[in-house]
Amino acid sequence: MEFQAVVMAAGGGSRMTDLTSSIPKPLLPVGNRPLLWYPLNLLERAGFEEVIVITRKEIQKMLNLDTKMKLDFVYISDNVDMGTADSLRHIHQKIKTDVLVLSCDLITDVDLYKVVDLFRTHDATLSMLMKKAHEPTEVAPGQKGKKKPVEQRDFIGVDDTGKRLLFMANEADLDEELVIKRSILQKHPRMHIRTGLMDAHLYCLKKYVVDFLVENRTITSLRSELIPHLVRKQFSVPTSLQQGVDNKDEGRKKKEQASLDIYSFIKEDNSLLKPAPDNSCWNDHRGDMNETLHEGKVRCYVHIMKEGLCCRVNTLALYIEANRQVPKLLLNLGLEEPLVHGTAQITDRGMVGSDSIIGSSTQIGEKTSIKHSIIGSACTIKDKVKITNCIIMNSVTIEEGCCLQGSVICNNAVIEKGADIKDCLIGSDQRLETKAKHVNEVIVGTEQLMEI
Amino acid sequence: MAARGSAKRGAGAGGARGSEPQEEPPPPLQAVLVADSFNRRFFPISKDRPRALLPMANVAMIDYTLEFLTATGVEETFVFCCWKSAEIKEHLQRSKWCRHTSPNTVRFVTSDLYRSLGDVLRDVDAKSLVRSDFILVTGDVVSNLNVSRALEEHKLRRKMEKNVSVMTMIFKESSPGHHARCKEDDIVIAMDSATNRVLHYQRTQGLKRFRFPMSLFQNSIENVEVRHDLLDCHISICSPQVSSAHQRILNSIGVASLILGNQIHMHVTTEEYGAHICNLLMYEAVCSDIIRRWVYPLTPEMNFTDDKNQSYTHSKHNIYRGVDVSLGHGSMLKENVLIGQGTVIGSNCSIMNSVIGQNCRIGNEVMLDGAFLWDGVHIADNVQIQHSVICDEVEVKEKVKLKPHCVLSSQVVVGPDITLSEGTVISLHPPDEEEEDDDQFSDDSGVNKEESKVKLKGTSISGSMLLGRPAMLSEEESESDSDLSMGSEEPDSRAASPQLDDIKVFQNEVLGTLQRGEEENISCDNLVLEINSLKYAYNISLSEMMQVLSKVILEFPLQQLDANLDSQNYFSALLPLLKNWTPLFKNYIKRSSDHLNALFAIEEFFLEHDSLCTSIAKVLMTFYQLEILEEDVILNWFSLRDTSDKGKQLRKNQRLQKFIQWLEEAEEESSDGDQD
Repeated sequence: MEFQAVVMAAGGGSRMTDLTSSIPKPLLPVGNRPLLWYPLNLLERAGFEEVIVITRKEIQKMLNLDTKMKLDFVYISDNVDMGTADSLRHIHQKIKTDVLVLSCDLITDVDLYKVVDLFRTHDATLSMLMKKAHEPTEVAPGQKGKKKPVEQRDFIGVDDTGKRLLFMANEADLDEELVIKRSILQKHPRMHIRTGLMDAHLYCLKKYVVDFLVENRTITSLRSELIPHLVRKQFSVPTSLQQGVDNKDEGRKKKEQASLDIYSFIKEDNSLLKPAPDNSCWNDHRGDMNETLHEGKVRCYVHIMKEGLCCRVNTLALYIEANRQVPKLLLNLGLEEPLVHGTAQITDRGMVGSDSIIGSSTQIGEKTSIKHSIIGSACTIKDKVKITNCIIMNSVTIEEGCCLQGSVICNNAVIEKGADIKDCLIGSDQRLETKAKHVNEVIVGTEQLMEI
Repeated sequence: MAARGSAKRGAGAGGARGSEPQEEPPPPLQAVLVADSFNRRFFPISKDRPRALLPMANVAMIDYTLEFLTATGVEETFVFCCWKSAEIKEHLQRSKWCRHTSPNTVRFVTSDLYRSLGDVLRDVDAKSLVRSDFILVTGDVVSNLNVSRALEEHKLRRKMEKNVSVMTMIFKESSPGHHARCKEDDIVIAMDSATNRVLHYQRTQGLKRFRFPMSLFQNSIENVEVRHDLLDCHISICSPQVSSAHQRILNSIGVASLILGNQIHMHVTTEEYGAHICNLLMYEAVCSDIIRRWVYPLTPEMNFTDDKNQSYTHSKHNIYRGVDVSLGHGSMLKENVLIGQGTVIGSNCSIMNSVIGQNCRIGNEVMLDGAFLWDGVHIADNVQIQHSVICDEVEVKEKVKLKPHCVLSSQVVVGPDITLSEGTVISLHPPDEEEEDDDQFSDDSGVNKEESKVKLKGTSISGSMLLGRPAMLSEEESESDSDLSMGSEEPDSRAASPQLDDIKVFQNEVLGTLQRGEEENISCDNLVLEINSLKYAYNISLSEMMQVLSKVILEFPLQQLDANLDSQNYFSALLPLLKNWTPLFKNYIKRSSDHLNALFAIEEFFLEHDSLCTSIAKVLMTFYQLEILEEDVILNWFSLRDTSDKGKQLRKNQRLQKFIQWLEEAEEESSDGDQD
C-alpha cells in the first residue's frame, strides 16, 4: 500500500452556520448527495480501497453512502475542538505509510494522479492541489448589496515550472512588505508570485511528517501551520548541521531541540531504493551537476489546476456555486443513476430543464417549470410553480402558484400558495404563509430574521 | 568582419523599416552615450584616464560601446563627457567613428557641471537633441546585442498604450553565481510576466532578504514574477519624454513611475552578450569574456576599431598575437592570452588568462596568470603576477610577487624583491582629501607625490577598490534559517564604500525631486511615493532617510539665496517650504528615534552654517508648531550630554535656550492640566 487516505469530516462548517445549524456539513446535500460522498468518490475513482474518515459520531449514524471502499470511521468527541493537525495526530497509530489527506468539502474532477505523481517523481515531502479561485458569479442569499468582506489573500511563490512551491505567506502575517529570502532566489532565480489561488486542502504527506506532528503538539492546523512550516523549511539548514564548534552543554541542549526539527524525522530510504536516483539519468533541475533531486531534503510541490472543476464548499455562496456545477460533474462521471430519479413523478416532463436534478419519490404537478435547480427526494411540488436557480432539499412542500428564484430551501419546509421568494435562504421546518413575499432574506430557526 | 558588420547593420535598419511599411520612414535612430560614471569605483586608475578610455583587451571601452551602437543601427550618437572630456574627444576624433565613412555620426556635448545621469538627461531635454525614441548607454558597456527587436517591442507598446511606456530596459539572463554578476550591481526585479513591465527594481547589496512593497501585488496583475537571474546591461531604449519630466525613474523604478502614469518595460536577452563594467571585478570578467570570444563578433582579431596597430592573429586556445611580438625560448602561452604589438617576452615565461598591451617588455622566468598589463609596462625577471591590473608604463622589478587583486596605477615603480599582499593598490596620486570614505589610506606609507619617476619601495595602500571576487562567491554557501551575522562574512571594506556613495547620490536625487516638486507643484503624496522608490533603489534605511531629508530641506533655501546668507532671509525662505512639506516629514517621522535623527541632522546643519545659527530656535519652533517634532524629544535632544564642543556652543545660543525654557514651561503646564 503506497498511500493511506484520510478524509477530514469533523469540521463544523463555521463559515456557513445558517446551513449547518440544522444539517452537519458533511451531510449537506449537493446534487442530492451528501457532501462527503464527493471526496470519497474521488478516492474510489483513483483506486483506493480503504479510507479513514475522521468524523463525529452522530454524523456517521445519519450517513448513508453507497461505496465499495472499506470505510474506517474514527470518531472525535463533540465537545473537543480539534484542528486538522490534531485530528491527524489522533489517528497516527493507524498511519503506516505516506498519507493523502483531504477535506470533506472538496468537490473536484481533478486527476488525482497529477498530484500523486508530483509527490512520487520528486520524492517530495508535500504535494498539494490548488486552483485559481473564481469569483462567485452570484451573491449568496441575504448578502446582496452587502459589501463582501475583504479576504486575506495568500501569496504563493512557485518556480518557473509552476510546480515547486517556494514561498507561502498570508496577507495577515505581512506588514507593508513581502519579504523573500535571498537563499531561495539563489537557487530558484525566477519566482512567480501568484495571488488568487485557492488551496483545495488536498495534501500528500510523507509518513515522517505525521511522526513530526506527533512530537510537535503545538501545531494544530495543517493549512495554517504545518504547510507553511514545511515550505519554509525547504531552504534552511538542519540544526544538526549548524552545530559545529559549540561546547558540549550547548550541544546537548540543541540535541533536545533538534528532536523537534523536521529533518530529524526524515528517514533514509531502504538500501535497495537509495541508489536509484543517483543512477538514473533523469534529474529535476538543469544547469549544474548536482544531485538528481534538487538540494534540500524537504521539498514541497503544488499542482495548480488550469481547468476543470475544483471547489470547496465552505460558505453559502460556494455551496450554491457547487450545486450549480455538480450536474455537469455527475454526467461526466457516467454514473448509472439518471439526473431525474426513476421514482419521481413528473407531470410535464418538458418543463424540467436538462441540467436539473430531481430526487426519488418527488411529485411535480402540472405546468410547473424547473430550471437550473436541484430538488431533493420526497418533495411535493404542486401545479403552476416556477423554480429557477434553486436548491430544494428533502421533503419540501411547495404549493400552487409559487415562484422561487435563486433560493435555498432546507428540509421539511412548507411554502404555501402563491409565495414569491427571491434570493432567500429558508431554514429547515419553516413554513411560509400564503402570498408571502421575500427578497434577499435569511429565514431560519425561531422566526429570527437576520438583518439584511 | 566588415562584411558581417554591415550586413547586420542593414538587417537592423531594414527590420525597423519593414515594421511600418505605409508610414514615412522612421527618423534616424539616435543614441545618448554618457561617457562618465559619476562615481569613483575606478579610482585611482581613473585619475589618469577616464573610465571610458580604459583598455579592455587593448581597445578602449568606449569603442566597444560605439561599435555596439553602430552595429545595432544607430545613426547619430551624442557623447556626453565630463571628467577628462578633452581626452575622450581626442581619442574619438582619431578613431574611425569620426571619419566621413562612419555610418554613425558622433557629436560631443561637454560640460563640467554634470553631477549625475539626471543632469545629462535634463540637458538632452533642454537642448532638444533627440527627436524620437533613443538608446541610452554609458560609455562602459560591452555588448553584441541587436536591439532592433527590443526597439520594435518598445514602439509597439508606445503605439498600443498611448505613450505610457517611457522606457525599455535590456537585461541579460545569467543565473546567480555567473562570473559576470558582481555583487555591487546585483539586482532583483519584480515584473509583470504578461506584459514585461518592470514593477520593482532593487539592488541587492548583500541583503539577506528582499522586501517588496505590498502595493506591487494590489493591482490587477495576476502573476508577479520575481527574478534574480538578470544582469542589467545598462542599455535602455527611452522615449523623448523620459528626459523631460521624469529623469529620476532611471534610478528609481517602482511606485513613482506607476503613479505618474508612466511604465517601464524590460527586454530579456538570453543568447547575446551585454555587460556594464562598473568596477574592476567586472573589468576582469568582461576582459576574459572578450578573449574567450563570448562577445563575438567583437573579438580582438576582428580589429573592429580599424586601427592599424591592432591587428592580431588568432590561434587555438584563444592565443592572440599582435605584429612584432617576440617570444623567448621556452616561454609558454598556455591559453586565453592576448599580446599587443611590439611586446617582447623573455625566455621560460608562463602566461595564461592574461592581456598584455603594446610595447611591453617582459623578462625571463615571469609567471602571469590573470594579469592585465596595459601599454608600455616593464616587467623584470622572476616576477609573479596573479589576477592584477598593471596600468601604463609601470615598472615591476626583479622577484616581485603580486598576490591576487593588486592594482598598480600608471607610472608606478615597484621592487625589487618584494611581495605585495592581496588587494594592494599603488598609485602616484595621493588619496583625495575630500574623500572621506578612503580614510584607510595611510599617510605614513610613503606615497610619493612627485610626478616624476621615482623608485617606490614597497609603497602600499590598502584601498577600497579591489578585485575581490573569490571572497564574494564563497559567501552564499552557508545560508541558514538562523541567519549568521552579516558582518563576519564581509571582512573587507568593499560593502561600506558604495553605500556611502549611494547616500550621496540619494541625497542629490531627493534634492532634485524636491526641486521639481517645488517648480511643478507636485503634491506631497506623489513626492512621498517618489522618495520611497528612491529609498528602495538605493537601499536607504529609515534613519538615514530622515537625516538626508532634513538636511536637504534645510539646505534648500541656501541655493535660492546664494550669496546673501542672512539668518533672517534664510528663515523666511525656509518657512513656506516647511509648511508645504509637513506631510513629507510626518510620513517618515514615526518613532521617537526618527525624531532624534531629524534633530541630529538639524544640529549638524547649523553647526556647518555658523552664520545661520541664530535661526535654529525659530526652525525648531516651526517644527514643533507643525507637529513634526514632539517637545519631549526636543528636550531630550537638548539635554544630551555627549555632544561635541561645538554642539555645546550651539546649545548656549540665547534664543534656543529661551525656546527650550518655553517648552519646559509649556510642558509643566500641560502636565498640571492633566492632573486637574
